[in-house]
Amino acid sequence: MLLIKFWRRSLSAVFVFFISMNVHGVTIGQPAPDFTLKNMQGNNLNLTEQRGNIILINFWASWCGPCRKEMPVLQELEDKYKDLGVQVWGINVEQENQAGRDFLANLELSFSIFFDETNKLSETYKVEAMPTTVIVDRDGIVRYVYRGFKDGYGKKYAKAIKKLIRE
Amino acid sequence: MLVNKYIVKGTLLLALINLTGCASLSIEPWVKPYERQNLADPIMSASRHPIANMHVAHVLDGREAARGAEGTEGGGCGCN
Repeated sequence: MLLIKFWRRSLSAVFVFFISMNVHGVTIGQPAPDFTLKNMQGNNLNLTEQRGNIILINFWASWCGPCRKEMPVLQELEDKYKDLGVQVWGINVEQENQAGRDFLANLELSFSIFFDETNKLSETYKVEAMPTTVIVDRDGIVRYVYRGFKDGYGKKYAKAIKKLIRE
Repeated sequence: MLVNKYIVKGTLLLALINLTGCASLSIEPWVKPYERQNLADPIMSASRHPIANMHVAHVLDGREAARGAEGTEGGGCGCN
């Protein structure tokens, strides 16, 4: 009897664990977790308020080589597709982000940059690789998740964005 | 009887540990990719002179007759 009780308890604990795992993180086809952050220009931006826009969320850090390579590519995407309702949001994941700010000072980027010093957002988005790029469609649904950055990923992003624009 | 009870308890405990430990079905890094700021710091690398480092590795290769296995590429950002 006690054994059955114990089993039930452990099974339910495992269940709860699984459910809690599914709550967080990004899954393709599921709504993107909401957040509000202040960008470098000083505006508070909220993800759900951007419904109707396609948002490319990129998690980056100055110590991550591929992320540094990726920044100009993201700027190109922003320039090219801005008028079609596409926004690029760069989220810096560094706990101490002075190096990130110094890195930005050498670049001329116009897209929104956020600083997630507490890593809360990286945690909710379950950033499994650096950089991680999430593309959210006009309805706020996660449509594409890219882990890492290699040459040619810019074209992949552009292709994905074009597909979402046509929808 | 008593031993039997202990065995049952032990296996149950093991099962529970196993279930909770491997429930995610994948090994996750203890340090998350976005927390690797300190690991990716240049001060964490054994040598900051890549060319000299390559030469030392080459010499050791020859001397120890152990070619390869010099670690992985990348800057510790979990992207390669």
